[in-house]
Amino acid sequence: MRRYLDPLVFFVALAAVWEYGVGWFAVPRYVLPPLSAVALAAGSARADLIEHGWVTLQEILVGFLAAIVAGIALGLMIHASAMARRTVYPLVMALQSLPKIALAPLTIVWLGYGFASKVAATFLFAFFPMVIATLGGLESTPAHLLEHFRALGATRWDTFRRLRLPSALPALADGVRVALPLAVVGAIVGEFVGAERGLGQYMLAASAQSRTDLMFAAILCVTGLALALYAVVERLARLVWWRGRGAS
Amino acid sequence: MAAPGIALRGVTTRFGDHGGITAHQNVSFEVGAGEFVSILGPSGCGKSTLVRVIAGLVKADAGETLVHGRAVRSPRPDVGVVFQTSNLLPWLTVADNLTLGAVLRRQAPSVARVAELTETLGLRGFERHYPHQLSGGMRQRAALGQILLLEPTLLLLDEPFGALDALTRDRLNVELLRLWEVQRQTVLLVTHSIAEAVFLSDRVLVMSERPGTVTEAIDIDLPRPRQSRTVKADPAFGAYVAELGRLMGVS
Repeated sequence: MRRYLDPLVFFVALAAVWEYGVGWFAVPRYVLPPLSAVALAAGSARADLIEHGWVTLQEILVGFLAAIVAGIALGLMIHASAMARRTVYPLVMALQSLPKIALAPLTIVWLGYGFASKVAATFLFAFFPMVIATLGGLESTPAHLLEHFRALGATRWDTFRRLRLPSALPALADGVRVALPLAVVGAIVGEFVGAERGLGQYMLAASAQSRTDLMFAAILCVTGLALALYAVVERLARLVWWRGRGAS
Repeated sequence: MAAPGIALRGVTTRFGDHGGITAHQNVSFEVGAGEFVSILGPSGCGKSTLVRVIAGLVKADAGETLVHGRAVRSPRPDVGVVFQTSNLLPWLTVADNLTLGAVLRRQAPSVARVAELTETLGLRGFERHYPHQLSGGMRQRAALGQILLLEPTLLLLDEPFGALDALTRDRLNVELLRLWEVQRQTVLLVTHSIAEAVFLSDRVLVMSERPGTVTEAIDIDLPRPRQSRTVKADPAFGAYVAELGRLMGVS
């Protein structure tokens, strides 16, 4: 019971503080509108928010899934090839430490104002953590199990698919968890830099008109999107139930 | 006369940077086919490395290692190794862990054999369980079963019961002995426990501190089949334990 009651009470209290706090402290509406005003604005702009939200959701999904697939593929490649480890790996490390935000304007130059540049920005934010997680996972196979497989005369392929890959899955799931919020950031940043549609673009438009209530409505929408996606990822990550069980 | 199960002649293995550490030096001994031999020695005397050399997992720097008369170069299908960590895969059920070795070696054990071993090892009813749902003793039983299913003619046991409590350990020793008395594989057991070595073995080898070498070989003349209670009540058992204790103490 308290599992649900405690957070409910907490969030209701938080909402009340927001709603009445702005009145008590006479905060101007263009700085922070009361929660009810945000809700009203969201209600009246419902159609717009859904339309722009759908665009942003598609950008996130495409960029995020591409980052997962490509990140795992590159991680596998670097793991499998000593050549790639000497050449591609340092490049990945260098690019990883580069602020991805700095690349967002480039995606506009290369791919234009449409959907593709936003997918690219999303991809850039989520890709590197996936590569690192894949590599880390593949390298974390317990040494005693590798020795055991060797004693059993396991082939390289069997060792990979029956030992290394399942051992790496918990780390991969962690990588996906880390990459998801970054993908959301990527999509919004991409839209900030230049877009015709999407929640990020909607925020900028609302900001230009000093419609703080609409900005907050858009922020709540992005947060809701991110939380919903996170719930899906958590659900999937639970399939890797042997996470933390180690081998014994 | 068949070739001995294991024959070591002057085996030396070094490890570390530039072979800076000598694990064991000039080790020579033989284990007859079907013989049960234990190695006792202080920690770090290179006895575990010795098992890995015989298993073909580690290359010795000098000397000759023969299993069933053939030089060891790499892991072989006629050799089974059980380690101290049970080496079960956490994402596989007990049943799948039991047959993993056979799957990796492209062997197809009969359903009857798997069922028999499951029964003998007290794993019946736990086939669908995962390793983390088992006690340490049961995990070690499953690990032993995985190797026994491969029917190795040489069984290498590297402190397989070292991480278990005394009671479980005694029980597993009795079970191991029962299985061995039927199969009569060649067994080389590495252990810290003097009582375990005496109870199980035909012969006990004592190794010195690092760099370890075999300093003593004691024949254990206790009648077989051995029952835990009668053997341990036998004054001869106590005498062997005392003698080995003395040898371990001075070496």
